[in-house]
Amino acid sequence: MPTIELAGKTYEVDEDGFLQELDKWSPEFAQALAPQEGIEGELTEEHWKVINYLRDYYKEYGIAPMIRKLCKDTGFNLKKIYELFPSGPAKGACKLAGLAKPTGCV
Amino acid sequence: MELKEQINETKKRPEMGQAASPTQVHEEEPRRKIDNYQLYRAAHLPSTGRVEPFLKAFDQALNHELYRFPLRTYLETCAKCGNCILQCHLTCDDASNKSYLPPIRSDLLRKVYKKRYTLSGKLLGRLVGAEDLTEEMIDEMYESFYRCTMCRRCALECPMGVDNSLITRVGRVCLSAADMVPHNFRISVESQLHGPARNTSAIPEKAFVDTVEFLNEEMEEMTGLPIRFPINKKGAEMLYLAPVSDYIMEADTLMGCAMTFYAAGADWTIATGPASDAINYGLFYDDRRLQQILEQLYEAVKALEVKRLVMGECGHATKTQKIFSEYFGGKLPFEITTMFDVTAEYIRTGKIRLDPGRNTELVTLHDPCNLSRMGGISETLRFVLKSAVSNFVEMEPHGEENFCCGGGGGTVGFEEIYDFRMEVAGRKKAEQLRQTGARIVAAPCANCKKQLRELIDYHKLEMEVLGIHDLVAKALVLGSQDEEGPSKRVSS
Repeated sequence: MPTIELAGKTYEVDEDGFLQELDKWSPEFAQALAPQEGIEGELTEEHWKVINYLRDYYKEYGIAPMIRKLCKDTGFNLKKIYELFPSGPAKGACKLAGLAKPTGCV
Repeated sequence: MELKEQINETKKRPEMGQAASPTQVHEEEPRRKIDNYQLYRAAHLPSTGRVEPFLKAFDQALNHELYRFPLRTYLETCAKCGNCILQCHLTCDDASNKSYLPPIRSDLLRKVYKKRYTLSGKLLGRLVGAEDLTEEMIDEMYESFYRCTMCRRCALECPMGVDNSLITRVGRVCLSAADMVPHNFRISVESQLHGPARNTSAIPEKAFVDTVEFLNEEMEEMTGLPIRFPINKKGAEMLYLAPVSDYIMEADTLMGCAMTFYAAGADWTIATGPASDAINYGLFYDDRRLQQILEQLYEAVKALEVKRLVMGECGHATKTQKIFSEYFGGKLPFEITTMFDVTAEYIRTGKIRLDPGRNTELVTLHDPCNLSRMGGISETLRFVLKSAVSNFVEMEPHGEENFCCGGGGGTVGFEEIYDFRMEVAGRKKAEQLRQTGARIVAAPCANCKKQLRELIDYHKLEMEVLGIHDLVAKALVLGSQDEEGPSKRVSS
């Protein structure tokens, strides 16, 4: 299993760099991973709003929400989500939130 | 060894009983390259012990009632005229990488065939292009057969009638027998066949139902009408079967279909469990998985006692049903059709009314290969789309001559070759899209939608990707409809 080292800690990830265990996640993990996903500087309140929403939904339902639901519940349209997370809601936001990579045709 | 076990053992594969089975895993070890793109990940793949299971599967394919005649014909017949090179989206504009050329790819399997099955090959070997299969050739085949999207455009112009996609497919089947299966297929099929949710995206039932309830609220908010997705409604006339990824990615396509059913006063339902997911990745690499997925689906559809199974916007799933439903399903107690046929019927019979004046932006259509070249419904797609939009332009070429989106054959789910999909496989499609000047491309397939969105982003095109039913929904005249609404939702 590949690993990545971020801010002095080692994390087990899958081959696309997604964290394998939800509970190993920490805000520091998200901040340290951010540059790799094209986000410069400190994560803003808006980034955290998306990340926290994704984590809460995942804890409740076991999967990331439908993209439209993410937009609706955070109040950010898809364009805004891409501005916040240039690699997109699945590859960027979910990865920073420590969610497993969605499978199938996603 | 069951797939389920393999998934649980990705970290360290234990020794396996049979001598013929693959026995080693190596991570991060370079494999034979065929181009400058990121190679397929090696982490879950064996590196030895693959020749015997590969050849066994090849023998079976060559004697299989479905494949033996066409396969043998295609393997024995190639004039090397190069017509296919001009048709293939990988090679039509740049044929400099010879590994991408359809006849060179097919020769990988052809060499093995000649050595094993022809007298000249046995006697003269390499002199007549015959070779014994080696582990190294298997690595090359793995790269090569997963660069081909099995779109079958090459078969259109082959004077000998060779269908290279069948050779690719059989190559992938043999690779699967040697445990050479791309990661996304492996985990998605495992989830569909053995996971708790029985779908490729591992969406738990609770999340699926939550999503559907969200869509119900959205539709009511948009239309003011009580439009609902009925769930698990036994005895409904129709079961609508979308690729389950639509429940993550394609809200508008799903709602468009629900609104169409509502407007027509249809008796329909969706389902949880195995009948929630149209996807069948078995089509791309493994007939046994293909069969298992179909059997699981048909059992669930029969239990719902519906009269028609309506395939949502998904190319490969529709093709799977058209080609294999009778062979693997026998005589089924329900009909199989597509949402495009259903909507076209509603339009023709006046059950729904569309106002194309509500979609005035210039729209083009991307023909999914599995629907237009192989599904025979390119005219139906156009009829429905043109009924919903007022400003339409054809892509060139189109219909059955359309180019693949560059993510077909299951490759759109492989993040590891994203660059290849954008720069090589999708190059032709990006150029086609740009030439239309359209602002919207309608892509009636989940696979194509994803690839086209990525292409548009990568190639910086000013375009939006929508499903056909996304546009149908916008054009749908709901005002004069019966206000009673659809059947009440029945939750299991």
